[in-house]
This record gives sequence, C-alpha cells and structure tokens, in this order.
Amino acid sequence: MDTVYSHYAWLIPIFPLGAFLILAAAGRGMRTAGSVTAMAASLASLVLSVLVLLERLNGRAAEYNASFDWIATRGFQLSIGYDVTNLTALMLAMVSLISFLVSMYSAGYMKNDDRITVFYAYISLFTFSMLGLVLADNLLMLYMFWELVGVCSFLLIGFWYTKPAAKAAAKKAFLVTRVGDVGLLIAVLMLFWYMPEHELSFSAIQNVFNEGQSGLIAQGITTAIALLIFTGAIGKSGQFPLHVWLPDAMEGPTPISALIHAATMVAAGVFLIARTYSIFEASAAAMETVAFIGAFTALFAASIAMVQKDLKRILAYSTISQLGFMMLALGAGSLTGGIFHLLTHAFFKALLFLGAGSVIHAVHTQNIHEMGGLGQRMRITAWTFGIGALALAGVPPLSGFWSKDAILAAVLDEGHPLLFAAGLAASLLTALYMSRLFFLVFGGKSGAKTGAKTGSRKVLESPLVMTVPLVVLAVPAALLGLVELPWEGWGKLGSWLLGSTYSPQHDSSAVVMIMSTAVAALGLYIGWLVYGKGMISRTAAAARLPWLVNVLENKYYIDELYRYCIVRPVLGIGTLLVLFDRYIVGGAVRLAGGLAVLAGKAGTRMQNGQVQTYGLLTAAGLVILIVAVAGRRFW
Amino acid sequence: MPETIPWLTFLVFAPLLGVVVLLLVPRRQTRLLRLIAVAAALLPLALSLWLFGQYDAAVPDQFREQAAWMNVALNREALSGSVTSFIYQFQYDLALDGISLPLVLLAAFIGCMAALASVNIRKRRKSYYVWFLLLETGMLGVFLARDLLLFFLFFELTLVAMFFLIAIWGYFDREKAANTFLIYNGLGSAVMLFAFILLIYTAGFQAVEAAGSVELIYSGSYDAIAANLLNPEAYVNLAPNLMDGDNPFYMSGEMRWTVFILLLVAFGIKLPIVPLHTWMLHVHKEAPVPVVMIHSGVLLKMGAYGLLRFGMFLFPAEAREAAAVIAWLGLASILYGALLALRQHDFKLVLAYSSLSHMGIVLLGLASFNEIGIQGAVFQLVSHGLISALLFLIAGSIQERTGTTELAELGGLARSVPFISGVLLAGGLASLGLPGLSGFVGEFLSFLGLFESMKVVTVLAAAGMVITAAYVLRSVLGITFGPLRESGEELRDARLIEAVPMIALLAFIILLGLYPSVLTGTTADSLQAFLSQLRVGG
Repeated sequence: MDTVYSHYAWLIPIFPLGAFLILAAAGRGMRTAGSVTAMAASLASLVLSVLVLLERLNGRAAEYNASFDWIATRGFQLSIGYDVTNLTALMLAMVSLISFLVSMYSAGYMKNDDRITVFYAYISLFTFSMLGLVLADNLLMLYMFWELVGVCSFLLIGFWYTKPAAKAAAKKAFLVTRVGDVGLLIAVLMLFWYMPEHELSFSAIQNVFNEGQSGLIAQGITTAIALLIFTGAIGKSGQFPLHVWLPDAMEGPTPISALIHAATMVAAGVFLIARTYSIFEASAAAMETVAFIGAFTALFAASIAMVQKDLKRILAYSTISQLGFMMLALGAGSLTGGIFHLLTHAFFKALLFLGAGSVIHAVHTQNIHEMGGLGQRMRITAWTFGIGALALAGVPPLSGFWSKDAILAAVLDEGHPLLFAAGLAASLLTALYMSRLFFLVFGGKSGAKTGAKTGSRKVLESPLVMTVPLVVLAVPAALLGLVELPWEGWGKLGSWLLGSTYSPQHDSSAVVMIMSTAVAALGLYIGWLVYGKGMISRTAAAARLPWLVNVLENKYYIDELYRYCIVRPVLGIGTLLVLFDRYIVGGAVRLAGGLAVLAGKAGTRMQNGQVQTYGLLTAAGLVILIVAVAGRRFW
Repeated sequence: MPETIPWLTFLVFAPLLGVVVLLLVPRRQTRLLRLIAVAAALLPLALSLWLFGQYDAAVPDQFREQAAWMNVALNREALSGSVTSFIYQFQYDLALDGISLPLVLLAAFIGCMAALASVNIRKRRKSYYVWFLLLETGMLGVFLARDLLLFFLFFELTLVAMFFLIAIWGYFDREKAANTFLIYNGLGSAVMLFAFILLIYTAGFQAVEAAGSVELIYSGSYDAIAANLLNPEAYVNLAPNLMDGDNPFYMSGEMRWTVFILLLVAFGIKLPIVPLHTWMLHVHKEAPVPVVMIHSGVLLKMGAYGLLRFGMFLFPAEAREAAAVIAWLGLASILYGALLALRQHDFKLVLAYSSLSHMGIVLLGLASFNEIGIQGAVFQLVSHGLISALLFLIAGSIQERTGTTELAELGGLARSVPFISGVLLAGGLASLGLPGLSGFVGEFLSFLGLFESMKVVTVLAAAGMVITAAYVLRSVLGITFGPLRESGEELRDARLIEAVPMIALLAFIILLGLYPSVLTGTTADSLQAFLSQLRVGG
C-alpha cells in the first residue's frame, strides 16, 4: 500500500520546534498566546502522528525511510534521517498525545507562574527532541536527540532555579545521566568502526546482527556494544545503579514529572534497546544482564517506595520500578512485553502524576501524611487516580495487568524462576505502596486532617483544563491492555510489531495470571487493612524492624555511597592537582625564571669596576678557551 | 580575476588600513575611533567571507601570492662551474587552503566581535585600537603565510601586540601577566625560530637549473621544504654533483626528530599542552575582555595550526610514530584541565583551564592520523574559538556589572539579567558538548577518529566528558541559578551593543552544530592530500 502521511512524518517534530523558536524569540511579551502556540503545535503533531499510526495500522504499509548526509566527505559519511516503522509510529502517537495533554494541563497548573512562556518554550523543545529521538533512523542521530531530551529534562527540573534543591537536582540529573551517555557514545564509536561500511542506521544494524548471530562481528565485541548501549539506557531510564537522579528530578514542576520523568524520556532507554534489539539478541550475556538489572531495579525501587513520604517521590520510585519491569521483559526476550508495558505505563503513570499534581495544586504540600480525605473534595481526581493506581497495581482487566502479566509469563517461560519471583515480589510491593498512597491521600474523613494541616484554605477540585486530561488519560489506562491479550489471535500488538514470527501464547499464562492477580489483591488488601481501615498499626513494621525501615528511608544509602566514593575523591584529586599546578608546575616555571635572574645578578656583580675581578674573569675565560681548543683533538 | 589581484594581501593588511586612518583621527573623537576600528575589523571579515564563497575545495593552494622579498648573497666561493648565484631568499608567500580557510574565517569573525566588544575600553582608546588592529593583521598573517620566516614575523607581531594590550589595558595584575606572557611565549618563539633555522639550513635548499646555469637558493619556502622532506632521495642526490660531492643538506633521522620535537615544544607552549600552560592562566585572568576573546578564540589555535602545518605535514613519519605520545598528552590535558577547572573559584580561571582541556581534544584528533580525527581537530579549533570567545565575552559583561567573576560572590543572575544568563547557559552547554551546538561535532569527530587506533585513550577521554559537564554546570549554575544576591538586584541586562556579538557568536555555534558540512567540506580535500602523502611515505 502506498504511504502518504509517513512521507511527512518529519513534520511531526517540526511543529513543536517552531513553537519553541517563536516562544524563545517573542519572549516575555506573551502569556496566553504562548501557551496557545505550544498547545497548537503539539496538537498538530498529535494529528499527524495519529494519521501516520492509522496508516500503519492497516498493516500493509511499507516502512518508510529518508536519509540525508550530515557530514559527508570523501573519507567518511555521517547521515541523518527518519524512519517510520510500526514501533516508531506507535511511539510518536504516544509521545505527542501525552505531550498535548500535559501542555493543556499546564495551562492550569502553571497559570500563576511568571515564566510560563519559558516553561512552554522548554516543553516544546522537549517534545521536538523526544519526537526526533523516536524518528531517528540511525544511532548517532538518536544519540544527539538523546542528549537534547536530557538537556530539556535538566532545564525543566531546574525550572524553579532560585530553589537550591532544584538547582542541585538539575545538576545531578544531568551528570548522572551523562555517565550513561558516555557509554552510549562509546557504543556509537564501536559500531562505527566495527560495522561494515561504517553504517550506523538501525536497518543496517538489524541486518548485520540478524537472527541473533553475526558472522561479521566477534561475540565479545557484540556483548560490549550491547552492554554499552545498555549503560546509556540505565542512565536515562533510571535503572540501578544510575537511578539516583530520578527521585530528585521531582523538584521540577509536576506536569514535567508526568511528561518527561514518567511517560516519555525515561522510557527512551527501553525504546533504545528495542530499536537495537538485534544486537542484544546476538549476545546472551547482554540479555541476561539486562534481565537481572531490570528485575533487581524493579524490586529494589518498589521497596524504597514503600516508606517514602513525598507523593511525587513515591511515584518516581514506582516509575523506576516499572522501568525495571520493562528491562526485565526485554532481557527475557520479550520485545512485545517491554513495549507493551512501556505504552500502558506511559498512560497510567502520566495519569498518576497529573493526578498528584492536581492534589498538590489543591493542598500545597507533597507530604502524604499531611493529606487525607481528599476523595470527597476532589472526586474526578480521586476516581481517575484510583484507575491509575489499580492499573499500576496490576488489577484485571486494567491495562497494567495485561502488560505486567505478559512480562511475567515471558520470564517464567524463558526459565528464570528467580527473576519471576523477583517480579512477583515487586508486584506485591507495587500493590502495597499504591494502596498506602491512595488511602493516605484520598481515604479517611474529609476535612479532618486536611483542614488542620493545610490551614483554613478550602480544598477544591482542580479546574476543567486540568481534569479533562485526567479523564482522557484514564481511558487508555483502563482499556489499552486489550490490544494484547495472551490468547491465540488476540496478540494484536505483538503480531503488528513483530510480524508473523510472533506468538503471544505462553505456556504458563493461566498460572501467571492467577498468581499475579492474587498478589495484587493481597497487596491491596494489606494496604487497605493498614492504611484504609486501620486494623493493623502503621508503625508495626517500624517497631519490629527499625533497621530495615531506616535503610529504606535512606534509599539504601546509595547517595551517600556515591558522595563518599566518587564525588569526594574526584574533588580531592582536583584539590591535589591544584596544589600540584601551583607549586610543582608553577614552581618549576618560577625556578627557571629565578635562575635566569640569578645568573643576571651574578653577572652584574662581576661588573664592579675592580681590576682583580676582571682579571679573574679573563683568566677563567682563557682556561675555557684553551680547554676547548686543545680538547677538541681528543673528542 | 582572482589570480591577478592580491586578495590575501588585502585581507591580511586590511586592518592596517584602519590603523592608518586611526592615526589621522584626533584622540578625542571616541565614537569615530570606535567606528573606524569596527569597520577595519569588518573589512577582513567581508573579504574572508568572499574568499570562502570563491574557494574551490578541489584546488590545493589558492589565491597564491609569491614574491622574492629579499635576496641575501651567500658565500661566493660556491660560485663555480655552472653555479651562477648562491643566495638566501626571503619570500613573501601567502596561500589559502582548506586548513587555513576555517581559521582565517574564525580569526576575522572573532576579531570583528572583539572589536565590537571593545566598547568597554575606556582609556587611551586610540593606541588600543592601533594595537588591536596590528594584532589582527598578525593573526591573519599567521594562518596564510607559507614562508617560515614570514610566519615567524606574523607570529611575533601577535606577541608584541598582545604584550602591550595586556600590560596597558588589563586588570589589576596586568603587568605581571604581560611579562609572564612575553617571556614564556618568547621562549617558545626562540625554540620555534631555532627549529625553523635548522629547517631552512637543511631542507630549505633548492637548486634551480635554468639554461645552463644553476642558482643555489636557501629559503624558508614552505613548499620547497615540504617537497625536500617528502622526497629526501631527490634532493640528497641532487646536491653532491652540484657541490663537488659535499652534501651539507642531508637531514639525518636524528635531525628530523630534533626539529620535530622542537616544533612540538614551541607550538605546545602556545596550544598549550600540560605542563606548559601556566602562562595562559594569568593572561586569561588579567587581559581585557576583547583581548582574551581573541587570545583564547584565535591565538591558542595558532599553536594547533603550527603543529599541524609544520609538525605533522612536514614530518608525517615522525608525527605518526609520536602519535601515541601526542594522544596521551592530549588525554592528560583533557583530564588535568577538567579536574582543575572543577576546583577553581574564579569563573575566568574555570574558562582558562577549560581551554586547556578542550585543546587536549584537538591533540586527540591530530593523533588519530585519519581524516575523521583531523577534521575533528580542525573543527574543534573553530568551535572552541567561538565558544570560548562567547564565554569570555559574557564573563566580561558579568564583571562589568558585578565587579567580580568570583563564583562565591555570584549567584541567581538569571533573575536580574535573564538574557546574559540564557546566553551563558547556551555557551556552557556548547562547551560541554551538547549535540546541535558546534562543540559536539569537534569532540565527536576527534573521538571517532582516534578510536580507530587508540581505543583506551578515547574511552578515558570520553569519560572525562563527565568531568567537563560537572565543571561547566558547577560554574554556570553557580552564577545564574540559586537565590539572587542583594547586590544583583539592580543590574541591567545586556545592551544592544553587547547583545550583538553574543547573538552572532551563538548563531555560528548553532549553525556549525546543525550543519557542520559548511566547514568539513572545505577541509576535506586538503587533508586528503596530506593523508595520501602519509600513505605513500609510511
């Protein structure tokens, strides 16, 4: 079938870029006009993305690629271009939809901020970069947009730049992700030199590493490349041990947390691996690493989320944990599972963050212990948040259930009982911390606590511009799971993404479904008992296992570990080098200069007008001459 | 016709035209003085842009101008047989190729921006502009000269002009800075001159045969030296029968190494390479803003240019053997500069050490000995020229407003001077290698090139980029983010005259970042010639 809209896919990121340029140039003169410009641009992107997606849903549309020289000389070529495949079309639609909804929501959330135009400029720049990242047809171009989304994330985390915490968080986010980016950069360098014809395009990568074996590139190199790419993904997607920046990133405005740090940018790591999946498939060691890191992160972050007090940080740890699930899926060989969960998670987590923003907007605190009883005051927020929470907890038939189930089934089928257990445990914790969160924020009697802790201000539901996006997001959060059901013929997403080779059926689907449902129910029930009904004391765990709670509250002391093992030593080396530079290098220079001055002074002293001194000098000179002339014979 | 009109001479001496006009204007006409100076800096920019348009990448040396300037008669006893003259020839020789062109453009552009930024110079404007324009002539000449002594003259002209510009118009500790600069660079020049004399005395020999007579010529002609060094057989064999079997021109392996190492040291001081960098710190801290823009933006690049043109092109075999040393020196500069930049308390010193670090990347690119890497090195020269000029310009604007560049005394400027802060942030991002801005291209190509032969060095250097990000963010965020200090509330944002060079510099940083082919296209063919020579030779 002929592709029409795919040819114009390059326009999708151009709209928000245009909005960014207009906002950056027109500056502070605009307020409403600024937000409208940004929204219009992301709406235009959304419409075109949906058209592209519909075109591809027909199934017979050929993949579309267009590429141009970026640097081309006789010796080498680097190109830029764009690729429209099923995966990219799906991502485009998801990114532009969430971007549009967040833009709309921000019009309410950021209404009173002086720098709302700057905010929209940054959001537009981010949307452009993220869409560019998705469309990129080669790894170098992806890397460039990868860095750009990182910078936008940095700018938006530090949006309230006068707050020292925001400044520190922005810096931390940039530096920690940069560690991962260096890995990705080295992967690009390696691919350039090891790929035939120095090709970096994804299609060429797929051809070379096809079917999990490449005769062209040695196994060790393949593993190294895969692991370096994964390093980039670890940084961006907040996987252990580079997850530390993501919770701090919650210093940014909440709509940003929804857009960048939940739905799109942090999922870029998963997308990257999906895009270069053939390299990973060619290396069992790399796959194993991805799976283990993913499973560990899923469990690790979920355990921290259990005890945090900050509404947004809990969601941030939950994001880290869910990204771990996606990595686990990819590592276990289930590309569909990873992408499926990426999609469902994008919607329900964006929903949760926007709901959290709605709550914060109303009560002006982020501490969940200062909230309560909001369910009656903020009905739309509470209902939509509840849907999101249930989807995240994996309650059937909401979207999160199906995608998590697909992952767990794939893991069990691959024969990783340990990883399966970790995933299941993480699911239990997920249900537990979400019910804790939900009951603490929305449960309880209205007004009792909230009134006391937030002053006498009346808590009101957020304006329509903020609640409409919540409702819109609640639909896919609830229903999106239906695109991929674990029965023969119902795996529409997988067969569309992977073509005929895909079979959705896992032998253990039924068992897994029962187990994961039971686990989710158990988690929710315990949470309800503790935080909803109050049958079990909230401090029971803290009283029995104080050290455990302490470790969890301090996030396993990872930040401290980095401070004492990396940051301080690097600064220490810097200080040593400062001294070295000043006293050794500078000293040598001063010494050389001093010697010259000294020689000059000595010479001056000789010129004292006394015949004896001159006589001595003459004699010395004569001796030197004689030695030189006579000595030459023996040389 | 470009062949007959001496465009390059016009280009090099256009600023001097300004000097002549300046001398005719009374010193009180400050506006007029400034106008003339800016016009005199615009002229070479316009000319070089025109040359860029005319430049044909496929032709090796263009707009060539060659003339025998002086002939000095040498030993008459050599005049025997068919030898009719024996002379030392001082040539006036200018040419433009793909390596010179980007740097000439850079020099003309930064010169123009610095002239605009000179608005804050308040004392002795007339003599300031005279020295300034002399400096510009010197740096344009350096990139175009094809005679060793002519190169040396232009090189020295920049030193002298810099000395006075620092010593008279600098900040508090200006005289010490100027003296350190002059002595250290003078030492470098002495080493360079020694190397040049050795070259002239050996490979600079030509025997020109014409109609039964032979002229023996010593000269600093770059082409003659390059040809002789490339094909030692030919000129070694040529010499004995002309000179009765005596061959004074033979260049032994030790001699080649000596000259190469001397050049490496001489240009290594200018670049600078660790540990020859200490002189640069004082200059960056004490020199007036426009002069630092030129110094960090253009003059440091003369070191890299000299290393490439005289070190690598003339001694490809030696340079190739020394590639590992050059790469490790580059790595040392990168890490050393970055770690020290992380611990500085003065923004200008952060930038100074960052220059050291970024020039290390140039060394990596040069050490790669493939087209990608050397392209990257040249690109990095231009890119760092633009970025550091921009950052020093902003540092100057901040110093003018707050009276300090101490990081501890600055903070929260994004609120009071949002435009300057925004440009500073953009400049900082360019400096740490954000894709889409020019810094990334130079860095990436250098790494990509070097990775072919030296993977460990490349990986370590790439890891150093994390430290780069750390010091850039530390200083930039330290200045712009955080709570605003009381002293900062009354500050005015950039005036138009300040904003123009900032925007222009940033525009070019973005242009090169998005569309690097503008530059790489012109450099490619010149490098191909060098690389093919390397393949034949090595």
